[in-house]
Amino acid sequence: MVKNYDAVVIGAGNGGLVAAARLAKEGKKTLLIERHNLPGGFATSFVRGRFEFEASLHELCGIGSITGKSPLLKIFQEVGAADKIEWVSLDEAFRLITLDEKEKCDYSMPLGKEAFIAKLEEYDPGSATVVKKIFELIESIEKTLDFVSNIEDFKPSMIKEIFSEHTDFLKVANYSVDEVLKSFGASKKTRDILNGYWCYLGQPTDELNVIHYFTMLHSYIIDGAVIPKGRSHQISTALLEAFTENGGEAWFNTSVKKINIENGAATGVMLDDGTQINAKAVICNASPYNAYTKLIDEKAVPEKLKKEVNAKTLGAKGFAVFLGLNRSAEELGLDNHTYFIYPTNDNRKCYELSKHIETNDVQATVCLNKAFDDCSPEGTSILYMTSIFAGDDWSKISVKDYHKTKIAFAKKMIDNFEKATGVLIKDYIEEIEISTPMTYARYTDAPAGTIYGYEASKEDGIVKRIVFDMIDKGIPGLYFAGGYTTRHMGYSPSYTTGDMAAKNAILGMAKEVK
Amino acid sequence: MSKKKFSVNGSFKDSVNTVKFLTERKQFINNAPAVLPTRTDDFGVNKVAASLHPKVQNLVISRIEEHSNIAKSYYFKSTAPIAYFKAGQYLTFRLEIGNSVVTRSYSIASSPASALNGEYQITVKRISDGFVSDYILDNWSVGDAVVAYAPEGNMTYNPLRDAENIVAIAGGSGITPFLSLARAIDQGDEDCSLTLLYGCRTSEEILFKSELDMLSEKNEKIKVVYVLSHSEEKGYEKGFVGADVIKKYAPEGDYSVFVCGPGGLYKFLETELPKLEKERKYIRFEVFSSGKKKEESKEYSITVINRGTESVIKADSNETVLCAFERAGIYVPARCHTGECGFCRSKLVSGMVYIPEGEDKRRVADMQFNFIHPCCCFPESDLVIRIN
Repeated sequence: MVKNYDAVVIGAGNGGLVAAARLAKEGKKTLLIERHNLPGGFATSFVRGRFEFEASLHELCGIGSITGKSPLLKIFQEVGAADKIEWVSLDEAFRLITLDEKEKCDYSMPLGKEAFIAKLEEYDPGSATVVKKIFELIESIEKTLDFVSNIEDFKPSMIKEIFSEHTDFLKVANYSVDEVLKSFGASKKTRDILNGYWCYLGQPTDELNVIHYFTMLHSYIIDGAVIPKGRSHQISTALLEAFTENGGEAWFNTSVKKINIENGAATGVMLDDGTQINAKAVICNASPYNAYTKLIDEKAVPEKLKKEVNAKTLGAKGFAVFLGLNRSAEELGLDNHTYFIYPTNDNRKCYELSKHIETNDVQATVCLNKAFDDCSPEGTSILYMTSIFAGDDWSKISVKDYHKTKIAFAKKMIDNFEKATGVLIKDYIEEIEISTPMTYARYTDAPAGTIYGYEASKEDGIVKRIVFDMIDKGIPGLYFAGGYTTRHMGYSPSYTTGDMAAKNAILGMAKEVK
Repeated sequence: MSKKKFSVNGSFKDSVNTVKFLTERKQFINNAPAVLPTRTDDFGVNKVAASLHPKVQNLVISRIEEHSNIAKSYYFKSTAPIAYFKAGQYLTFRLEIGNSVVTRSYSIASSPASALNGEYQITVKRISDGFVSDYILDNWSVGDAVVAYAPEGNMTYNPLRDAENIVAIAGGSGITPFLSLARAIDQGDEDCSLTLLYGCRTSEEILFKSELDMLSEKNEKIKVVYVLSHSEEKGYEKGFVGADVIKKYAPEGDYSVFVCGPGGLYKFLETELPKLEKERKYIRFEVFSSGKKKEESKEYSITVINRGTESVIKADSNETVLCAFERAGIYVPARCHTGECGFCRSKLVSGMVYIPEGEDKRRVADMQFNFIHPCCCFPESDLVIRIN
C-alpha cells in the first residue's frame, strides 16, 4: 500500500506532537506515527491504585505565570491546544539540601526575581548587589536571544546592531557558568544557590555554557513555572486532539521501519506492515541514534552526520521512584514542591559521583500536592524522586540482578530524602513504581535509557549547536525534533524544536514548489 | 542597555574567546570517527529492556500436566530466551479461534528462576462460560506454537511497600501466582515470608498440594493452610477464607494481604477484610473484572477506525467493547481485561459506554478527552472508536 502526505512525523513525543499540530494547523496533510498506544513519550502519566503519577515533568517553564512572557503558551494557542490544558502556577523555585555533614545547607528559594534576590540576601547577607547585576546580565542575554529569534528576514544592518547593542551576549557566549559568576565576585554560597538547577541540565557548571543556564534561570525564576493539572499526559493529549481537529491523522501501535532516502533526500517512510508513506517532509522525533543506526540505510547517512553523533556524548540516564503515600503532605511534613538533594554543593563532584550506581546520591524530588492538593485523594500525597546518571553504569546490570538493583537504589533515594528533610515516608508507601534507564529504553527507545539527549558539554553547548545548525544542515527533507536537537533536552526545548522543525519543513516544501 | 558594558576577562579576551567557538566546534566534529555509532539496541540497558519486555514471545508447548480432570498445566519453551518476571505477574496469550482474535491472561505458576532457564508454566482450569479456557483445554497439544506477550501485572512483592510477611488468599486456580511466589522464596529470589490460605471446595480440587506441602515442610518462610468450603476433612480448615481464618494464621506484627481468585471470593472478602482494620496499603488484589449485570441484550454497531481505515462491526450491550472487537477478528493490544493496564486505550469519537463501578482506572486527561479502555466498557449506543 502506498499513501501520500505532505508531511509524516515519526514519534508522538513532545517534539513530534508540536510539529504535527503545527503542520496540520498550517493546512499540511500530515500523518503522525507512534509505536505506543498513547502520545507523549516521556510526557505521560500512569495510574497505580488510587494515584495517578506524573511520569517526568517537575515544572514547566515557557508558560510565564509571573511576567506573562510565554513563548510556549503562544505555540499552544496557535496550534489550538492551549484552552484544553489547565495550568497551576508555582510560587516556589526549589529547596536545596546537601547531604554532606560538613557543608550541610538547606535553602528554600521562591520564584520571582525580587523575591529570589531578597531570599538570597537573607541566606547570604550582602549578596544582593552582586545578584542584581547577575540578573541584569540574565535579562540582557534574554534580550539578545529574543532579538535573534525574532529575525524573520535577515538584513546585513542587523550585524551592526548585534555588535553595538548585544555586546554582553557576545562576550559571555563561550564561557561557563562558573567563569561568569566568579567574574562578578559572587560568593560561594551565592553561587551554590544560583547553581541549584544544574541537575535539570545534567552538566556541571564549570563547563555548562552560561547562556544556556542563564536562559533557564530567566524562564524559571523571572518568568515563572507551571504544572498541568491533568499531568503532562494532559498536554500530550491536548496536542493530539488539536492535531486531529485540524485534520491530522495519528496512527498508534504503529512502527516506522525505514526512512526512505532518494538522491540524498528524505522522501517518506516505510511502516512495520510494509505500507509506504510518501511525504515531502519527514519530521523525526526519534533520536539521531535511532535514525542513523536503525531507520536509514548506512550508505545514505552522510559522513558528517556520523561524525556528529560520535563526537557527542549521551546525556544523563534517568531513574525515578513514584510514591503514593497514605498520609497528606501536611501530616507528613512535606512543605515543599521541589527538593534538590545533592551529596555536596560541588556539582562537578556530584556529576562524577553520578556515574556509578554505588556512589550516585543526586535527586530532584517533587511533592505534587504542594502544586495542587487535589492531585490525590484526601489524606494522601504523591511524591516522586528523580535521579540522573552520567555514564552508562546500568548497562552492566544483568536481567537477573535487575529487580534487586532497582529496589536497592530506590531505597537509597528514600533514605537520602528522609535524612535530608527529616520527613519520614517509609511507613506510608501505599503505591510504589520505579523507573530505571531500562524503563526509559523500553518506552522511548532511548539509547542506554538517556533522558537528557546529548550532554550539554563544553564542546556541545546549545550556543554552539544553534550557530552550527544555522551553517550546516543534515539530510534534505529530514527535520529532527525533540531532545537531541539544538535546544538540548527538556519539555520546553522539545516543544520549541518541534515547532521549529515544522516551520522549517513548511519552508522546505515552499522551496520545492518554486 | 545604557549601563556600562559587562566583561568577564576584559573586552578583548572575551571577544577572542567568543570567536574561538566556531573553530572549536568544527574541530570537535571533524575529529570524531566517520562510522555508525553503537546501535541503540546494542547498549546493555536496551538489551535488558528488550529482554524484560519483548514485543512478542513465540512459545512452544513442551509439556502438559493433568490435574485430576479439573485443570491442566501447560509448560512452554522457546528457541529464543524468554522474558524474566516477578512472581505474581501474568502472561497474555493471543489466540485465533474461528474468526475471533482474542487475548487472555494467565498468572505464571513457575518461578522467575525457571524463566531464566527458558521455561514458563501456566495452569488453566475449566470454568463455566470460559470461552478461551475451554478452547485451550480442548485444543492445545504438545508441540503447538503459541503467541504470548511480555509478563505484566502489579501483584508482586515490593519490600519498600509491603510488609515482610505476606498472607496470600487464593481461590481455585488463583493459586498460581502464589505458587510462583512460594517457589521464588524457596529459591532465594524473594525475601519475604508467605502464609498461604488456599480456599477450595473439596480436597480433590486442591492444585499442587504435594509441592505446596513439600515447600512448607522444607522452608520455614512458607506456610500453607487449606480451607475447604464444601467438605469437612481432617487436617483442613472448614469454611471460607475470612477474617477469622486470617487472624488465626496470620503472623505476629504487620502483614500484607494479597488476594487472587474468582469473583465470589472477592465479593466475600469485601465484608471480611475490613474486619482486619488494616490500612489500605496492606491489602492488594490481583485485578479482576466483575463485569456487568446481564440485562436484555441490545445490538449496537461500532464504527472502528484503524490506521485511517473504517469498518463497521456489531456489538452486544451485555458484552464489552473489547469483546466486540475480538468477535469481529480485530486485534487490539489488550492485556489485563480489567481496565487496569491501559494497553487497549482507544478514542471514543462518539457514542455512550457504561463502565462498571470501580473499574474506571483511566487517567484524568483520558476522561477529559474521551479515551476509554474498551476491556471494561459496555456499549450503550452506536459507537465510533479509533483504536489505532
